[in-house]
Amino acid sequence: MKKSLFKKVTSLLMATALLAVSLTACKTSNSTSKADDKVYRTVDEIKESGVINIGVFSDKSPFGYVDENGNYAGYDVYFANQIAKDLGVEVNFVSTEAANRIEYLQTGKVDIILANFTVTDERKEEVDFSLPYMNVSLGVVSPSNAVVESLDDLGKNDQVIVISGTTAETYLTKNYPNIKLQKYDSYAAAKTAFENKNGVAWANDNTEVIAFSLENEGYTVGIPSLGDADTIAPAVTKGNESLLNWLNEETVSLAAKNFFHEDYEATLKDTYGEDYEDTLVVESTSLTNN
Amino acid sequence: MDKDVIISYIPHFKEALFLTLKIGWLGILLSLIIGLVGASLLHFKVKFLQKIVGIYIEIFRNTPLLIQLFFIYFALPKVGIQITAEKCGVLGLGLLGGAYMIETFRSGLEAVTTIQTESALSLGFSKAKTFRYIILPQALSMSIPGLVANIIFLLKETSVFSTISLMDLMFTAKDLIGMYAKTTENLFLLVVFYLIMLIPVSIIGAIVERKVRYAGFGD
Amino acid sequence: MQALGIDVLFKGTNLFRLLQGLWVSIEISLISVVISIVLGLIVGILMTIDRPFLRIILKIYLEVVRIMPQMVLLFIVYFGTTRVFGWDLSAEFSAIFVFSFWGTAEMGDLVRGAIKTIPKIQFESSLALGFNTVQTFVVIIIPQTIRRLIPLAINLITRMIKTTSLVMMIGNVEVLKVAQQIIEANRNTSPNAAFGVFAFVFFLYFIICWPISRLSIYLEKRWA
Repeated sequence: MKKSLFKKVTSLLMATALLAVSLTACKTSNSTSKADDKVYRTVDEIKESGVINIGVFSDKSPFGYVDENGNYAGYDVYFANQIAKDLGVEVNFVSTEAANRIEYLQTGKVDIILANFTVTDERKEEVDFSLPYMNVSLGVVSPSNAVVESLDDLGKNDQVIVISGTTAETYLTKNYPNIKLQKYDSYAAAKTAFENKNGVAWANDNTEVIAFSLENEGYTVGIPSLGDADTIAPAVTKGNESLLNWLNEETVSLAAKNFFHEDYEATLKDTYGEDYEDTLVVESTSLTNN
Repeated sequence: MDKDVIISYIPHFKEALFLTLKIGWLGILLSLIIGLVGASLLHFKVKFLQKIVGIYIEIFRNTPLLIQLFFIYFALPKVGIQITAEKCGVLGLGLLGGAYMIETFRSGLEAVTTIQTESALSLGFSKAKTFRYIILPQALSMSIPGLVANIIFLLKETSVFSTISLMDLMFTAKDLIGMYAKTTENLFLLVVFYLIMLIPVSIIGAIVERKVRYAGFGD
Repeated sequence: MQALGIDVLFKGTNLFRLLQGLWVSIEISLISVVISIVLGLIVGILMTIDRPFLRIILKIYLEVVRIMPQMVLLFIVYFGTTRVFGWDLSAEFSAIFVFSFWGTAEMGDLVRGAIKTIPKIQFESSLALGFNTVQTFVVIIIPQTIRRLIPLAINLITRMIKTTSLVMMIGNVEVLKVAQQIIEANRNTSPNAAFGVFAFVFFLYFIICWPISRLSIYLEKRWA
């Protein structure tokens, strides 16, 4: 009996040691492999395989969602389909969560992220953004009977809902460290929790919170814009210049045809009406826009 | 891996560890209570309640915790039952664990031979006293290995709390990866903190198991 | 029905998509169970062999599986391996890998337990009769443990299916993710869809796992 306990303890310690060692081993192989192994695919490689993997949201209506017939739809998806068409390949949509977007690119699991990805300096260090196709800043929506008009008015125990891995989360963490955040890992979860009144307000991209207040009765966007005005752009794996250049040219040539206005009218107009068309849509006309 | 990054993340993980432990142990406590009550109801074949316990076990043993949590947290408010994330975590874990604990306690009770009950009764013990002083202590000590396994299982299950906004170890790692993209460091800390949480349980479990085996009969 | 959001299930192809999502989970579990049973038999036999080095390795393996939540393993395999080794594993493959890794340990432990119940004299007699070790296991020992193992293996299937609900976390679109998508797509028309859809998913898991676990209990009692 004594022996078996001893064995158990030693094996546990061994297991720890082994894990620690294997993880430290990661460190060395990581730094060496990074340079020579590229995880991304060039335009030619994508064309050759006949399929492009594009990471989009599947629960973020009206930008990226799955309709009741099981098809991907939305503003981002409309653009994604056009990209695939112009590349002459099939598109394979990969359902992503906000917090996984960088990870998916860095591990080469998708070629492009087209999931309402706001361009920020932190993210630029991790991925490469191409030219923007939408304007965005942050906004805060709350129930109409208890509208939050300023973040300074929040009570001590009031929780604000955010989605893990979004710019709203980073912004609030940095600028309002005292606000209690209630974090969710998917849009669907966050919205349902917000509807269920688990938090006093929901902070996110203003496009998204405006859409929510327009689509659902009883909600008001008390803070329509917060923080800096930013843009949303497709992102590729860092260093994938071939795809990045192709995307830039694609965006410019599409913008010349007013493609993004067309996209807006097809996917966003039902939600936003015409009022937001010019404030939201970006038609990048020059390659040096970014 | 970057040492400075790891050090700067440790406070986040520590906080997550405390939350995980708090909810984990409250949930386990609840599951033990449910387990003892449920197993006693089955043992004494209490009419009607016995059936309810049976149905409860089947439901909670045959569905994943993740779905149970989703249902309690996201669906029940739609019919007017509102519950905070922390309470939902405790309740979900308690209900899931309860179903397993009942089975563990029951097999412990079954392992105590009927002759002991009969002897105790013939010695003049009341039914309640027989249960309290003769059956239960033996049954409990025989349930220990199962209990330890259940506790480890339940502490591991806390990793799905992330879906209901509880900042447990798993969610903290995911969240930090999402914000700052330091994957390797976060995965490393995640593993280390799970080991910190579970190795003591495993070791204490082994010690307790060894101790109580002497108390068992008929081995 | 409207108020509880159950009507959403019958809109468009929603019901079909949920079932499709469920099939993703079942498929992953079945493949993992088959792999686990095969590898589990081998690991179980290895565990009964008295070689210190082998023992330590297997013990560590079992402890890792026992302590690490499957979700953590999923993350390490799915995201970690690409980082470290540059492997691009699909979500399905990662899930099957992790569940087999876990299932093999569980199965191995069960096999070991079952082999332990076979009297030692059988090994000795078999060896004395000229069978070699492999033959002894394949022809003599394993067949005797089958009855004991089948119910346990079936039970493992339900545990696998329940655990597959985690694959949503690494981007597999399975039943729970489909449920979320449906709730999202119908948010403005049926605000209570969350109740109906999640209740239905709850029911789906139950209706799949319950008969399987009953079968396992029945066989266990019958063959015991």
